[in-house]
Amino acid sequence: MPSVPKTARSWFGVLSVWAIVGLLLLMPGSTILGQKGQSPQVAAVLAKCQQCHGETAQMSHFSVVSRDALLKGGDHGPAVVPGNSAESLLYKRITGQMKPAMPMAPLPPLSPEEIAAVKEWIDAGAPMADAPKPMEVTNKADDSSLLKFGSYSERPVTDTDRKYWAFQKPVRAAVPKLADDRWNHNPIDAFVKAKQEEKGLQAAPPADKRTLIRRAYLDLTGLLPPPAEVDAFVNDSSPNAYEKIVDKLLASPHYGERWARLWLDVARYADSTGYEYDYDYEDAWRYRDYVIKAFNEDKPYNRFVIEQLAGDEIDNPTFDSKTATGFVRLGPRVLDRDLENPNYRFDYMDDMARTAMQGFQALTINCARCHDHKFDPITRRDYYKTLAVFNTFVEYEHPLVSSDEWSKYEKTASDINGKIKAVTQQIAGIEAPYRKDLFQAMLAKLPADIQEAFKTPEDKRTPGQRLLVAQVSTIRATGDEDGDYRAKIKLNNQDEPKRKALEDQIAALKKEIPAKPPVAMGVRDGDFRFTPHAPFQPGTTGSVNYEEFGFKGKYMPAKGESYTPPPIYFAATGLGTFADEMKAPVVEPGFLTVLNPGPAKIASPRNSEFPTSGRRRGLAEFIASPENPLTARVMVNRIWYQHFGQGIVSTPNNFGKMGTQPSNQVLLDWLATEFVRQGWSVKQMHRLIMNSETYKMASAFYNDESLAKDSTDTFLWRFPVKRLEAEIIRDAILSASGDLNLEAGGPAFFPPVPKALVSGASIKGKFPVTKDEPSTWRRSIYATVKRNLKYPMFEVFDQSNPSLSCERRDVTTVPTQALTLFNNESFIVQSQHLAARARKEAGADPAAGIKQIYRIAYSREASAKELQQAVDFVKERSEAASKAGGNSSVLSLSPLAEFAHVVLNSNEFVYIN
Amino acid sequence: MKQHEGNEANGECTGMSRKRFISRRDLLQQTGEGMGGLALAYLLSRNGLLAEPAESKNLSCTGSAGVKDSPFLPKPAHFKPRAKSVISLFMCGGVSQVDTFDYKPMLEKYHGKPLEGKGEVTVRQGYPGPLMKSPYQFKQHGKSGKYVSELFPNIGGVVDDIAFIHSAQGRSVDHTLSSYEWNTGSIIAGFPSVGSWVTYGLGSENQNLPAFVVIQDPRGGPFTGASQWSAGFLPASYQGTMFRALGDPILDLHPPTGSMSLEQQRAELDQLERMNQNYVESHPGISELTARISSYELAFRMQGCAPEAIDIDSESDETKRLYGLDNKVSEPFGRQCLMARRLVERGVRMVQLWNGAVVNQNIDTWDAHNNIVENHGKHALEVDKPIAGLITDLKRRGLLDETLVYWHSEFGRMPLSQKGVGRDHNPGAMTVWMAGAGIKGGQTIGASDEFGWKAEQQIIGAHDLHATLLHLIGMDHKRLTFFYNGRNMRLTDVAGELIPQIVG
Repeated sequence: MPSVPKTARSWFGVLSVWAIVGLLLLMPGSTILGQKGQSPQVAAVLAKCQQCHGETAQMSHFSVVSRDALLKGGDHGPAVVPGNSAESLLYKRITGQMKPAMPMAPLPPLSPEEIAAVKEWIDAGAPMADAPKPMEVTNKADDSSLLKFGSYSERPVTDTDRKYWAFQKPVRAAVPKLADDRWNHNPIDAFVKAKQEEKGLQAAPPADKRTLIRRAYLDLTGLLPPPAEVDAFVNDSSPNAYEKIVDKLLASPHYGERWARLWLDVARYADSTGYEYDYDYEDAWRYRDYVIKAFNEDKPYNRFVIEQLAGDEIDNPTFDSKTATGFVRLGPRVLDRDLENPNYRFDYMDDMARTAMQGFQALTINCARCHDHKFDPITRRDYYKTLAVFNTFVEYEHPLVSSDEWSKYEKTASDINGKIKAVTQQIAGIEAPYRKDLFQAMLAKLPADIQEAFKTPEDKRTPGQRLLVAQVSTIRATGDEDGDYRAKIKLNNQDEPKRKALEDQIAALKKEIPAKPPVAMGVRDGDFRFTPHAPFQPGTTGSVNYEEFGFKGKYMPAKGESYTPPPIYFAATGLGTFADEMKAPVVEPGFLTVLNPGPAKIASPRNSEFPTSGRRRGLAEFIASPENPLTARVMVNRIWYQHFGQGIVSTPNNFGKMGTQPSNQVLLDWLATEFVRQGWSVKQMHRLIMNSETYKMASAFYNDESLAKDSTDTFLWRFPVKRLEAEIIRDAILSASGDLNLEAGGPAFFPPVPKALVSGASIKGKFPVTKDEPSTWRRSIYATVKRNLKYPMFEVFDQSNPSLSCERRDVTTVPTQALTLFNNESFIVQSQHLAARARKEAGADPAAGIKQIYRIAYSREASAKELQQAVDFVKERSEAASKAGGNSSVLSLSPLAEFAHVVLNSNEFVYIN
Repeated sequence: MKQHEGNEANGECTGMSRKRFISRRDLLQQTGEGMGGLALAYLLSRNGLLAEPAESKNLSCTGSAGVKDSPFLPKPAHFKPRAKSVISLFMCGGVSQVDTFDYKPMLEKYHGKPLEGKGEVTVRQGYPGPLMKSPYQFKQHGKSGKYVSELFPNIGGVVDDIAFIHSAQGRSVDHTLSSYEWNTGSIIAGFPSVGSWVTYGLGSENQNLPAFVVIQDPRGGPFTGASQWSAGFLPASYQGTMFRALGDPILDLHPPTGSMSLEQQRAELDQLERMNQNYVESHPGISELTARISSYELAFRMQGCAPEAIDIDSESDETKRLYGLDNKVSEPFGRQCLMARRLVERGVRMVQLWNGAVVNQNIDTWDAHNNIVENHGKHALEVDKPIAGLITDLKRRGLLDETLVYWHSEFGRMPLSQKGVGRDHNPGAMTVWMAGAGIKGGQTIGASDEFGWKAEQQIIGAHDLHATLLHLIGMDHKRLTFFYNGRNMRLTDVAGELIPQIVG
């Protein structure tokens, strides 16, 4: 089949660069080798180029994979003139002498050292091996630590691999001292400014106080500052006025409601399963509330990591820590005939491993599912070592009451259910003869060949007839196989009362079942191979009977029972037969070889609630350790990203070679060490960042030279304006109108969507059609996240795809956003309410109303010009309205409401300045 | 006018009820020059409010509309394209190949006997049944003599324009996963759809309409709904925009009844532009901000252009009949097909039409577990005339050569019986066909085995189909990449081979 992945031909190009490094280093006569060891830098530069000019993509028909290709060049002619950097297109592009400069965004420009290295290399004749070959994997035959199986031969992880910056522990550099004392009070400023000086960039002046308070409010809480707060801040001349605001906002419960969203994106959070049925995850909201609470309580990040991966395995698990294990389970799931499709479980574990490793470690381990990672030193065995960690999981609803209370509930419920079952059997007894008749009636409706097959005595049936008979198995009250399974069989006058009496008994019994205590959706250890099989369709092909292979175990062993984790076989996918897949070696749990070459430190926890392997705990503790080079860096980069709309590493889920390199590594490393030093406190990071001059700079600043040198503002010479995220646009609108319902936590609410959208959607879960009213004016984080039916306004405004871990939101600008914000009824209603609020607060005078709307929405006073424009607009609208006669519709907008409607749609409203 | 029916019925049509006619010149003077005024003039003309409707013909719903910064501006192809637009006809639920286009006389001979010697048979529901012949007669059509069952007499009439592929093969027996596969190349949720890749790669020829339009079955959506046309990890703007077959085609295309008149909208837009300009002046050099200003003007062009684009009432009766609009059963899909033609005519890059909705799965989709005759009989009647009409109409308008039309389902069906009358899922063999884009018609590509159980010769996977599709519109599937999660991702992952008979 041509679709089967063939050789990894297309990846060779990228590998070849590293091969070149190797070859160059080995070439004794190489001019490069002698020159300050710069050649790896050239190779690293070319590796960047390969993202667009390699084997997989050749933009402008240009590729850098070989010397020939460089000499030949692309649409714009030869790229390299050996011995003459000044005449070489490559050099002109990387220096920006020729536009567009390379590399293009989102890659940052090359550093002066990199540019110098390329220049030196070209001037030395641009030596490169003519026929690059894929990197030789020198798999030593005697290296027993490497796995060989079938055609797979594990690549060794070398010291060179470990030298990659992200695998080295961050080093806390000395804070530079700047000439301009403005930048000497906060280490962040010193590092940022030092980089700007290196790049020759001129920084913006500080932002004015009104801009600053609006920025701080939206950044930390996603809400607008009340005008009175703005005034108080402006009038507070104490030196720590701003610090006090930051502290106040960090103490606000709305802080967690805003920042949890960042993590929920990473955790691919949703309230439903996705796939065909999109069932509800009834208790997912408890995980969402856990994340909000964790941010609000400033839960140390290392603890946050451990709870989400292994909150059930830690010493003294709490309700919160068990709820946190929802992280493992929340991904998209088919949840239909999973046992018959063993590959589903492998996809689920892939989801767990990829989300955890991208989320906590910014490594794309999922690339090593079918082969060793093509760019990073992650082997396919590493991938299976990680799967071995997750392979112990079984889905579990953790009771959120004392174990006594829970057992009492379970006992009562199971006693009553036992009684119900007995009564149900009595009913089945009454119905049995009727069922037989129904079966005959159904048979009579089937084609003649099936009837014939049934009539034929069993031993006389042809093979085809046997197949036909086997197909017709169940019968429902509707007289066929596919009718409503809840339908009742019609009985005669004698039997009907008997059944009725029994049904009444069942109804009475059901009432006796006590209310189910709250539970959290999570995981615990067990053995999936012994999942109780509710035989939906017995004999369905695909499911594996593990007992036939001699395995013994228990789905969920109770306290005190012995527990052996189910093994995971190398390269298993669930797509082959189990008998074949189990021939592969068993892979023991472990961590990435590049970070931890030795055997994984995993011990079975002693005092956990259930027998458990400790594997998830082992991985969690490994990740949450201060020794881990990635964990702290990855999280501070996420925080930084959210504050500045860009990361120090612009690919927050990928710190590997194909991610972007840090624009300011000293800064990143300093922050990472500071994060750990501050006890992994996220709030301390906010304080540090928000009290920096860098954060407090103006966005309304323009400098030709800086713009030319750094058009993407990578080095933060001005504060980058940021469009609010979908959810925050909605929250800001509700906060402007005063309608925002601040009810916190609990089950999700359903924002109003057209009925047709719901009825046409592929969802088995609920999605009630609601209308605009206080119950649907809650904060957006509490809105349901349905995988198969997104709230349209969120969808058009770039909400993340909840099926995959999302590292950052896109910011796209398309006409359908304008249609939604301008025409959607909900926002028209909000405009009316904003105008009403302004009138109430400022009186009936239109100019006063306009001024108040400026204060509410933009946290500033209108300029004279703006006020004049707005007054003219409102006046013109009033005249037009009086000419047109009254509009009696409840949705009609008064002139001031029309102005409010314009404001809610304006750039200044949906951007943080 | 059609799109405002609801408003008129309430007597509160925006502007209409007030009978305030504005001269076009006044209007342009009032609203200033530029796109905004023209867009409004166009809108008003559509609503009969302009005193000089004749002039409105100068106002066009095509082209770039002066847009300078949009994710949908046309982008250069990798090489000279064979087609400009793509129409995907997705038959949701699984069409039986052996009852439609893949004629298997051997099924007659072995009817009632088990399928033996071919390896394990995996069905979706219960046990596999014996082989079952097609309840339909097959007949040869056209110069090519292609066998087509009596389910599709009209498509039979255009077989010489169609290239049939009998060896398409998928990887999943599940509706959702296999739908994902043929729409995104991956059986895992969350990957970008073909239409998203196409519009990401090429942009659109028309900035006044969405670049990638999806029109679903009026009964409802397919399995998993919108995630079948999601942008996955591509920027969200590349997701398909769903057009509804009745009423306003796009959600929130117009403000709700009684809220705002067009004249109010215009006045607000002008004030919005003034305020946005103030902001841009204080924040220079940020293209996002100017793009946002033009997105509002575009939105208001779309407000007029989208209803116009799908206004099939303006088509001749003859055309309507051609698409089967004169028949209740074929009318809904006929409308979808006719809209598709109007959309590609206006430069929309990709249109995906769905027949089949999961409302009542066994009846409303092609999922014929229970009864092939009842299920396929109904759905074939719904689509046969409209599809043949679409091909005929595109051809006579000279559009077929620049449009790729492709037809398929998420999988084929078993040559085995399910309870004597139905057929279970079968990803092993599916018939896909392609027409237009200069593809040689009347040819048959690949083959399934003698029973139509598994693809046997020249097996075509989703990656191959997608590679071929991209090639036809001028894109090299290996070069159409998006950097995500550390890799240059492709629609075709690391696979995909062009189908030589199609691209040759």
